[in-house]
Amino acid sequence: MVLKIFFPQCCNRADSGLLVGRWIPGHDSAVVLAVIHYPFIPGQVKQYIQQVQAQSGVELSVLGSWSLPKEGQEGMESFLRDLSTIFPQERWLQIKRKLGKTGFTCQILNRDGKSSQPDSVKKTKKEKQKVEEEEDQLVQDEKEEKEQEEVEEEEEEEEEEEGEKVIFVHYEQRKVMLSQLHPVENGVPDPKTELPSELRQMFQTVAGSQALFFLDRYDDGPLKSTHWQSDGREASIIVELLKQASVPFCMLISWLLSIWTWICNMRIFSLYPLRFLSSKLSTCVQLSYRTEHMRTLSSAKPAAGHTEFMRKANIVVSFLIDVALGMLLMWWLYRDNHISTLANALVPAADHVAKELEELLQWLMGAPAGLKMNRALDQVLGRFFLYHIHLWISYIHLMSPFIEGILWYGGLSACLGLTFALSLLSDMVALLTFHIYCFYVYGARLYCLKIYGLSSLWRLFRGKKWNVLRQRVDSCSYDLDQLFIGTLLFTVLLFLLPTTALYYLVFTLLRLVVVLFQGVLHLSVDFINSFPLFAVGLRVFRSYRLAEGVKFRVLCEEPGTALHLMMEINPLKGSTVVQTYRTPTYSCYPKDSWGALVKKLFVGELIYPWRHKTTKTD
Amino acid sequence: MGPDGAPGPAVPWRKVLWERQQFPDNYVDRRFLEELRRNEGLRHYRYWAVVKEAGFVGQQLSCVAIFISLWLYMEQGLLSPETLLWSSLLCALLGYGLYQSLTVQVESGCETRTRLADLQSAAIFLSFTFGFSPILKTLTESVSTDTVYAMSAVMLLAHLVSFPYAHPSPPGSLSLNAALFASVCLASRLPGALHTFAMLSCALEVFALWPCLLQRLRENKPTHFTALCVGVCVGGVGGLGSQSPGGAVLLALALGSVTLLCPLLLVRLQRHKDNIQGPWDEAEIHEDLNLLH
Repeated sequence: MVLKIFFPQCCNRADSGLLVGRWIPGHDSAVVLAVIHYPFIPGQVKQYIQQVQAQSGVELSVLGSWSLPKEGQEGMESFLRDLSTIFPQERWLQIKRKLGKTGFTCQILNRDGKSSQPDSVKKTKKEKQKVEEEEDQLVQDEKEEKEQEEVEEEEEEEEEEEGEKVIFVHYEQRKVMLSQLHPVENGVPDPKTELPSELRQMFQTVAGSQALFFLDRYDDGPLKSTHWQSDGREASIIVELLKQASVPFCMLISWLLSIWTWICNMRIFSLYPLRFLSSKLSTCVQLSYRTEHMRTLSSAKPAAGHTEFMRKANIVVSFLIDVALGMLLMWWLYRDNHISTLANALVPAADHVAKELEELLQWLMGAPAGLKMNRALDQVLGRFFLYHIHLWISYIHLMSPFIEGILWYGGLSACLGLTFALSLLSDMVALLTFHIYCFYVYGARLYCLKIYGLSSLWRLFRGKKWNVLRQRVDSCSYDLDQLFIGTLLFTVLLFLLPTTALYYLVFTLLRLVVVLFQGVLHLSVDFINSFPLFAVGLRVFRSYRLAEGVKFRVLCEEPGTALHLMMEINPLKGSTVVQTYRTPTYSCYPKDSWGALVKKLFVGELIYPWRHKTTKTD
Repeated sequence: MGPDGAPGPAVPWRKVLWERQQFPDNYVDRRFLEELRRNEGLRHYRYWAVVKEAGFVGQQLSCVAIFISLWLYMEQGLLSPETLLWSSLLCALLGYGLYQSLTVQVESGCETRTRLADLQSAAIFLSFTFGFSPILKTLTESVSTDTVYAMSAVMLLAHLVSFPYAHPSPPGSLSLNAALFASVCLASRLPGALHTFAMLSCALEVFALWPCLLQRLRENKPTHFTALCVGVCVGGVGGLGSQSPGGAVLLALALGSVTLLCPLLLVRLQRHKDNIQGPWDEAEIHEDLNLLH
């Protein structure tokens, strides 16, 4: 039977007094939270403990007594033992420490009066022991801090009365209080299921007893206690100001949101074309997405639970970074007449693209790469596409006086964030290359029809048929006219295949280039949206706040005293941080695997390689 | 203890496995292989009958040769498309009349296809061919001549190989399609759209309609059928010979080997047949549907 006592580092040199803490249910361990010094009135101590228990909800109790006798203070033994009668407990711990020695001694008094001494430490056994719980790692470094003090040998340790060993686990109270053990358990744990592990309960206890730590040495109350904050309560002006300002800020945001939602829900916007457009334009998607974020932020209740707090913090930080980058972009755009240079470069660029396309089509209409095209079909297709390009160029020229204005107002949107500017850019690219998209769709449809027809007629050629019911190929006896017409069509389609295939190939390649560019833009927008910058910053600067587990280090292993271990927090790995705290977004990832994509290209199906995952359906 | 050894024990050997006998498991007595049957159900071919049947194969070969020679004539401009069109129309009408007369002899009053349906089919054929011929004309413009010839040869060979010689009346899909594909390839090489149309109509007649007539003739008038086969073969050789003597010689050789040599081989090699059957064969289930009623 090993009794673990979690002892805060700050109380190592505290004056003698009472230990206040909690017995962890289900495990043989206790967490010491604070030491209340003499002199005290027991009634007041009990009242205080009940008050704190009501405030915090943690089951506090008096664990035992602590004695660190200074010079001149002696004869406390009997006094300390009598205390156990005042505070009736199942077990009463009497922990003693002598100045100048590192080890503590501990006596455990059970309710029935039996006392038990801790066993002497069997060094070899402890060194070879490797205990693995779910989250802890027991790392035993080779005695880093072994102080060269006099080693007292106490022969009385040889006698075993009950064989109860005590391990003192020292922890840094402030860090454990602020830390959160991962994986985070949300919600109230069901008492019928297993109790959470010892470590988790210990963390929860320390984190929950914040009310205990408000009593510092400058208070004029009847009780004096020692804990991490006893030298004076910490407060940061910035944090206080933010807390004060957050309430009206939230109210402002929710009021703005309600106006925006009212505008969005107006009937005129529920018409089908507008709704379709707004689901396709990435700017509108990004807008709706940011609205969701603001809605999360503007809820009046403070964040319940660690995950919600982290999510809100991540949203705020990413939004601020976004706006900062957007402002940077705006500053760059609006100085030195960049806007007008851009606008003046845009129309010639579009012209240039159109000219290149025309040349490409002329090349296709000739004998491209030495391939023999069917002349008639070639001419038809080529002329059709050339006419399209001609229409497009006239459209661009019509729009050219307005381009500068559009760019100017579009640049203003960057004040809402860099993501908006990028989404706007992606939309503009989509609009400018709309003709390429059209060509791709025509080419793909033609090719798809041809492939479908060819495969069906090839089956007719061999005298077989596709059985839709059984999803297989069956033999079939065709009529004479069916055979005749089928063969004619098969021949025609077969000989026209190379021409159509070439046009399809060329336009598919163009379309893929545009899709790739848009994909890069979407990926970067997604990255800005979802990357948990706050969590990563926390991991870098305050790594103890995100804990994956703990490490133990042996502090003192003298014979005659109990084993002392130092518990250090093992921070979460960087990749786990990002994975856990990633804001769920419309993650933009490829819909098909490479194999499926190639197959679709081969058959002529239209491809939309990037899929936007909406938060509702998935 | 073999089959010819010293007299065995008193209990004779029985060919069963479920009884423990004094003989080893692989012992067989004198009756070894007595249930062996050799060459059971062997067909005895008679030479001239086989030659008559093989004549049909030769006939089909000559049909293909006639078609090719017509194409050669058209390509060299010796035959005008109008002539071909009119003559094939005439032949079609004659053939149709013959077909109908043969049908009336067999079963009267039971017409599976009405005249109207036939007319409808003919109209579809002609209109489609006429409509597609400009497209078909330019189809193989960009393909080299050698490729076209090679494709046509392969397709015609496929046609000959997959032709349903036993029952040519419902035309086999692959053979008809291959023949039409080859004819389209060849027809697209001709100088004009009308040429293409004429060639395709001729191909349709030769490959789709002619076998139906032959089937009917074979059923009703076998002697006339044989005479017709011989006539077609002669016509094929003659037609090809007017264009290229080498081709005619090759065709004659092929015809001779198919109709005369191969049947000889078949009959002669029958004596080397050595099939064995016995109780070790797999059971064959013969379904007799009459038993079900």
